Amino acid sequence: MATITAGSQIGRSIPRLESRDKVTGRAEYTHHLKLPGMLYGKIFRSTMPHAKIRKVDTSAAAALPGVYRVVTIDDIRTVIPHPYYGPAFHDQPVLADGKVRFAGEPVAVVLASDPAVAEEALGLIEAEYEELPAVYDELEAASSPHLVHDELKPAATFPDLQHLKGRRGTNIALDYKMRRGNVDAAFASADHVFEHEFRTQQVMHVPMEPFVTVADVANGQATLHTASQGPSFVRIEIARLLGWPENRVRVKVPHLGGGFGGKLYIKLEALVTSLSLLVARPVKISLTMEEQFFMVTRHPCTFRIKSAVTKAGKITARKCEVWWNGGAYADIGPRVTQKAGFTSAGPYDIENVWIDSFAVYTNRPPCGALRGFGAPQTAWAYECHMDMMARELDLDPVAFRRMNMLRNGRPQAGGTVMEDADIEASMDLALERIGWNAPLERVSGNIRRGRGIAIGFKGITAPTTSVAIVNVYADGSCVLYISTVDMGQGSDTVMAQIVGEVLNLDPEKIKVIHPDTDVTPYDMGTLGSRSTYHMGTAVRLAAEDAKNKIEELARDLDMPPGSNLPVAELLRKKYGMQAGNIIGTGSFMPDYQKPDPETGQTRKATPFWGVGASSAEVEIDMETGEFKVTKLVNIADVGVPINPKLVEAQLSGAGIMQYGFTTIENMIFRDGQLTNGSLADYKIPSLLDMPKVFINEATRSNQKDGPFGAKGAGESTTIALSPAIGNAIADAIGVHIPDLPVTPEAVYRAIQSLKNAGGH
Amino acid sequence: MIGLDIHEPQSLEEAFALLGDDESTARPMGGGTALMLMMKARLFKPSALVSLAKADPRFHGIHLSSDGKAFTIGAMTTFAALEHHDAIAKHLPVITQTMVTLANPRVRNVATIGGNLAHADPHLDLPPVWLSLDSSIRTIGPAGERIVPLADFFAGYYETNLLPGELIMQVHVPVSPGWRRRYVKITTRSAHDWPAVGIALGLQMQAELCTDVRIVLSAATDRPLRLEAAESILRGQKLTPGRIADAAQATGDIHIESDSRGSADYKAHLLKVHLARALQDLSE
Amino acid sequence: MSNQRIVNFTLNGEKSTAIVRGGETLVELLQNKFDLKGARESCGQGLCGCCTVLVNGSAVAGCLMLAWFVDGADVQTIEGLANGNNLDPVQEAFIEAGAFQCGFCTSGFILMTKKLLSEHPDPSDEEIRHYLIGNLCRCSAYPEIIEAVHLAAAKMRVLARA
Repeated sequence: MATITAGSQIGRSIPRLESRDKVTGRAEYTHHLKLPGMLYGKIFRSTMPHAKIRKVDTSAAAALPGVYRVVTIDDIRTVIPHPYYGPAFHDQPVLADGKVRFAGEPVAVVLASDPAVAEEALGLIEAEYEELPAVYDELEAASSPHLVHDELKPAATFPDLQHLKGRRGTNIALDYKMRRGNVDAAFASADHVFEHEFRTQQVMHVPMEPFVTVADVANGQATLHTASQGPSFVRIEIARLLGWPENRVRVKVPHLGGGFGGKLYIKLEALVTSLSLLVARPVKISLTMEEQFFMVTRHPCTFRIKSAVTKAGKITARKCEVWWNGGAYADIGPRVTQKAGFTSAGPYDIENVWIDSFAVYTNRPPCGALRGFGAPQTAWAYECHMDMMARELDLDPVAFRRMNMLRNGRPQAGGTVMEDADIEASMDLALERIGWNAPLERVSGNIRRGRGIAIGFKGITAPTTSVAIVNVYADGSCVLYISTVDMGQGSDTVMAQIVGEVLNLDPEKIKVIHPDTDVTPYDMGTLGSRSTYHMGTAVRLAAEDAKNKIEELARDLDMPPGSNLPVAELLRKKYGMQAGNIIGTGSFMPDYQKPDPETGQTRKATPFWGVGASSAEVEIDMETGEFKVTKLVNIADVGVPINPKLVEAQLSGAGIMQYGFTTIENMIFRDGQLTNGSLADYKIPSLLDMPKVFINEATRSNQKDGPFGAKGAGESTTIALSPAIGNAIADAIGVHIPDLPVTPEAVYRAIQSLKNAGGH
Repeated sequence: MIGLDIHEPQSLEEAFALLGDDESTARPMGGGTALMLMMKARLFKPSALVSLAKADPRFHGIHLSSDGKAFTIGAMTTFAALEHHDAIAKHLPVITQTMVTLANPRVRNVATIGGNLAHADPHLDLPPVWLSLDSSIRTIGPAGERIVPLADFFAGYYETNLLPGELIMQVHVPVSPGWRRRYVKITTRSAHDWPAVGIALGLQMQAELCTDVRIVLSAATDRPLRLEAAESILRGQKLTPGRIADAAQATGDIHIESDSRGSADYKAHLLKVHLARALQDLSE
Repeated sequence: MSNQRIVNFTLNGEKSTAIVRGGETLVELLQNKFDLKGARESCGQGLCGCCTVLVNGSAVAGCLMLAWFVDGADVQTIEGLANGNNLDPVQEAFIEAGAFQCGFCTSGFILMTKKLLSEHPDPSDEEIRHYLIGNLCRCSAYPEIIEAVHLAAAKMRVLARA
């Protein structure tokens, strides 16, 4: 084994451990999995956005040669008496139960050994509906008499939602509150008051590996192979559904073809497990790209923001009213509502803050987590709002931000004192990299140019736990057992680097065992930028535990201190042959204090802060509204990057994704029907869409309690990117566009409205 | 898909027999890309696909007539063959230019010009270009051959004026030396989207005079459309900025559809601005 | 029988035979009958490139091509690119540049890059962006992919000189 110097693994850009598998086509994904005797399921979906189901006639489909069985909720109920699931609310039936709540909802499943037969049979199923009035808009739904659900059913796993249990007569699934100071008084005495409303659109994760689950339930054991970001959660929720102990449910996740928050908590697993339990054969369901639009999406959001500002530009109060369109099932929407609500006043030091954040049910496809847990939607509003106020007050937008910036040592609106959050340093680097003070040719012919800056932050889901096991074999080689899912972010590699750093091993020779809940210990989920910090710490602790045990063994064997005998020799001395293991374990849950339900105040709301700053330069064709983002800069505070190249790839990848959400992507509905649910009509960024000058960089920072100073990097550049572009466009054309996506047509209309209003 | 028959007839007669009468859901197949998309989306389920690859040699090849005045291009010619054809690049460079942004290299390797025309999706890039080149189609059917000017070919969304049983055999494209041509593809979302508006332009200039002109609009209407009102404002005239603006304004009464790429108003506006710019550019 | 046939073709240099159905796609054939996993269906519309396969040297969308028509063809997949344990220079370049994250789209990008470099041995950024327009990477490893294509081009030039 190569000798590695301690301290040499952190900050090393080694290639991903699984590189060769991925370039040779050998990497294993659930997508490919086949089990003997497996049936394929195809889903028959609702064509109605909101309706009572009168009848589902499956007889013709069942009669098609090759069809094994057609399943509806009535069949499922024979094996699972209460077939409802969900992470925050147990509101989602495994298949539609008496009524459908969005167009695209699963109503029945055809099972066949040949997927082509199952597909063919779908066309033979007939459903009769009695249409109900539907609600699509979050503001309308909040006060509508037309209810998506009769009663709220919070899950027991989320103790802070228990007060909602049994609530009836509303589409509001959750109301989150934060109160600080006295906003009314501050508004009453303000020099200036500004109020704006912003909206964001519904978009989808578009993982290239569509959702897929294989379940094999037999003889009292359930084994799931699933494209999931949260195998531990899947085990818990499946065990609950089945009424079984956790040790009879096994969840395995190989490589994951993209997740972005979509494949979290529980998705296809509930349905596929129920089917396998029902027919006592392995069952696989693979969604098509089109079907993914009906699984989970990002919340559309309406944000009313109001600020009180002194003549000098100091913000004295802010009131935020945020409405989250959660679609037909809550999924993790209530958490998005809380977590993004919590930071919705922005990274500013404001004495008086009032936040209301509402999760609202509508008759749209469900919404959940998508790279930022709502933070990008709120930043769109608070950062455009900042520039709009700066414009009105004739203040420099950078100076205005600096004057109000939330700095380390000061309490955030919820009471947590800011620590290790390099907001200003991130902004400064974004300004420097875009050349903020360099001259800009603002007009040439039809073209106008502009620059924009934005900053943002997010809290991290808390409290959550990660557990890791490090196993050193008798020859000194090393294996790491973790339930973190490497979905492309590079966690296997980074965790191996952490082990290598502690145990003085070459990380490229460490094997990382992919999640298998029979083998790998608990992890709350690969989500919300938490893995490097949480699992990274657990892995560090596990490696240190192993290291201590090795030293203990040396002492037991009477080795003189500093003899540094390789572990293989120590074990050989102990057992007289090549035998035994050294097993280190580590478990980590950061400090947390539950916020007061009425005021949202707490001493510790989040283990660390995600921080991003973006700057953009745009050119606008003033005749058509067509625009180009000519330069885009994304800066994040990620603490100490353990693998700088992987970190940069996270920053740039998240940036391009959010760029799509800013300028291109939009799920368009007509009467509750999605009209562009395929990649032919729902476009995502391609190589040609990437800004020509595209800079992604981490600040020089240190997260003091993170593993070797590191913290998460997966979401930070999604936060401030949209408003940076929005602010750049406003800088060029003289007016802000309040709604995402910013399309050429929206820009054109804004230019026209300004002209009509007699602007320049 | 189950229950799909595939045939590769060795003669036209065999192909006609396999395709059957008007009631038949057997479909002729070129590269099959558009058919596959429609079948996979369950929009359409043919009983059989009849590949024309081996039915007749006239479906294949790119030939320049001996007098150099026209190309005859077999309907089974792939986009890639067209893209990489030297004589096409020399005499019809607008075709080569159009290929760069047409779908992607994999689709261009397989999709055929005949299948593309028969699909009659108004968002396609090549049909407006063919139309602006005064192309015509040679069809063949049980009742014989016909020459159909492309202007008379499209009947609406996904609809053509092909007679029952008729096949597209060749595209005839006149070579028109001295013309300046361009295809303008305007996308409003990602660069790899379908066009919101497509404009195929041809200008014949003598000194400063525009002696003839073709303007074809696609994507925004139910079929590629010659903009004759705009053309007539320009024909025989000096292309002054005022004249060009008049021609662009003359597109105002076209019925344009709203879709996810833009409202009808906005697409009409894009057409005006980009038509004027392209005319200005080409006339210089 | 016109709804199934035997196809004889060359798969990664090996003579192969399979019975295919009328509606079966090339990517289904490769996965179901040959257990090849590198070409995978994602968008199902020929737009994303995850299912890229080379047929008679031309890149095609395996999800839109009927397996029926591979009879007599030479089919190459990502699995046939490396020579034993020796990776192709394009594969090496993708590793060195870190030109993938989740890896689901990677086979397609590598095969398309192979074709791109056979047509343009020293492509400009613009040529790369246009040639790979039909390959979508949702992890958006695009900057690294451009870097990998240039790196692969350089590696292949060195090999050509050797």
